[in-house]
Amino acid sequence: MTRMQLDRDVRPDGIAVLRPRGRLTMVAASDLKAVVDDVVAQGHTVVVVDLHETEFMDSSGLGALVGGLRSARAAGGDLRIARPSTQVRTVLELTTMDRVLRPHASVEDAVGAG
Amino acid sequence: MGGAQQGQSDRVAEHERVAAVRRLGVLDTEPEERFDRVARLAQQLFHVPNAMVSLVDADRLFYKAHIGTAVTQIPRRHSFCSMAIAEPATFVVEDASADPRYSANPYVAGDPRLRFYAGQPLVAPGGHRVGTLCVADDRPREFSAADRALLGDLARWVEKELIVEAELERAASVQAGLLPAAPPVLDGYDVAGACLPARAVGGDFYDWDVVPGGVTVTLADVMGKGMGAAIIAATVRAVLRASSRARGVDGALADTQAAVEPDLLGSGSFVTAFHARLDTTAHELSYVDAGHGLSLLVPADGGGVRRLTSTGPPLGIPEYVGERLVTRLALAPGDLLVTFSDGVLDVLDGTLASVDRVGDAVRGATSAQDAVDRVLALAPAGVERPDDLTVLALRRSGAPAGAPGHASSEGKDDA
Repeated sequence: MTRMQLDRDVRPDGIAVLRPRGRLTMVAASDLKAVVDDVVAQGHTVVVVDLHETEFMDSSGLGALVGGLRSARAAGGDLRIARPSTQVRTVLELTTMDRVLRPHASVEDAVGAG
Repeated sequence: MGGAQQGQSDRVAEHERVAAVRRLGVLDTEPEERFDRVARLAQQLFHVPNAMVSLVDADRLFYKAHIGTAVTQIPRRHSFCSMAIAEPATFVVEDASADPRYSANPYVAGDPRLRFYAGQPLVAPGGHRVGTLCVADDRPREFSAADRALLGDLARWVEKELIVEAELERAASVQAGLLPAAPPVLDGYDVAGACLPARAVGGDFYDWDVVPGGVTVTLADVMGKGMGAAIIAATVRAVLRASSRARGVDGALADTQAAVEPDLLGSGSFVTAFHARLDTTAHELSYVDAGHGLSLLVPADGGGVRRLTSTGPPLGIPEYVGERLVTRLALAPGDLLVTFSDGVLDVLDGTLASVDRVGDAVRGATSAQDAVDRVLALAPAGVERPDDLTVLALRRSGAPAGAPGHASSEGKDDA
């Protein structure tokens, strides 16, 4: 089992792109939530989470995405997700949370989804 | 107070103290890095050969961490740790052989020829002094006020680690207390459930409750681990039970949401649930699926296994504006309903393909208990699970119409 790595980028347009790699479960989930809060606090209120290299996500991971969405919206922004794997998409669909966190096919699509 | 009374109250206090030690669940467990780390740090900071995390049991010391010695337990009598827990302050003996109170102590006069000892009592959540973080040397040493403060800080760290363990134990007992004791006796149906907890206690539970005309069944999963999730699970169960007596399945879930939503929003958690009511006369199951999505209807007539999709949002997600719809299913003889937690999915590959594997496994199950056993058997034995495995099954007795056995059950009715 590998620990999650989390890369962050701020694009020239000010949108933050976060890339969790590996397993997005309990410990990693609180790390992700903390990073979302951090970038939102720095004024990057639109956050895209690129899930392409997130191998596995459980309900704690989903909780972190929802928590991040709340932080971003409270600051007048948004959190969007892109490129989920089949397993991540399954979690979103089973829980109906794809209604709240709609998966986008690419980071560009997520950025333009305003 | 007379001497006899004093002795009596001391004995009661000591009895409670020993109970507090044992409740920690640490006695006779393997060494763990989280305790070894603190003992190693103490040994290095004070430049001593020995550092221990000791727990003072009724008549022995158990060393949860022991740096510089392979010994894991010693008799309590004459031990310095036992003397150290008599008072809250740091217990320090700078040169035992020069002090007439200790020079004849067997640990001083004999092996390990102890000269220096400093022990900081460890206090359990109830206030009992359960053991020490201690350092020792076979040479005399001085121990300054700054040294005492440092040892005290390290001891607070050990206390935190001890509470984590105790909290897991308590959460496990709260969780176990949520599960119904025996399956309900129902006319024409059987129900079974199981919950195999992971090491980190989660907020899964299943429940059933006999109500006029039938039974309610529930499987719910609170996101998160530990005491917080277990307490929310207990509230969800209590409100669902109480509300289901007067309200439909959707009303009961709405009441539950109202009760727990403030806690859920505060903690950033949410709850998924499958909640159903079976009418055992009309053979109709009404259910609401709040973001659970992991329930299967396995028809006895050999038709395809049907996954019951969610009929509305999880509890604690106000961002999802939508109703939770009630769905009704007719159950024919031999039909089986199985609902399970995502922990089951995760021991497979976590995708919808693993839902099909669960369906294949339970097809042909001869009872609700058989179906539960078959789902649990999907988890590899001996592998540590990251999440609880929780399963609930409900089966209508009998064989499908037209199958062998159906006629004989009707014949019995005629008799």
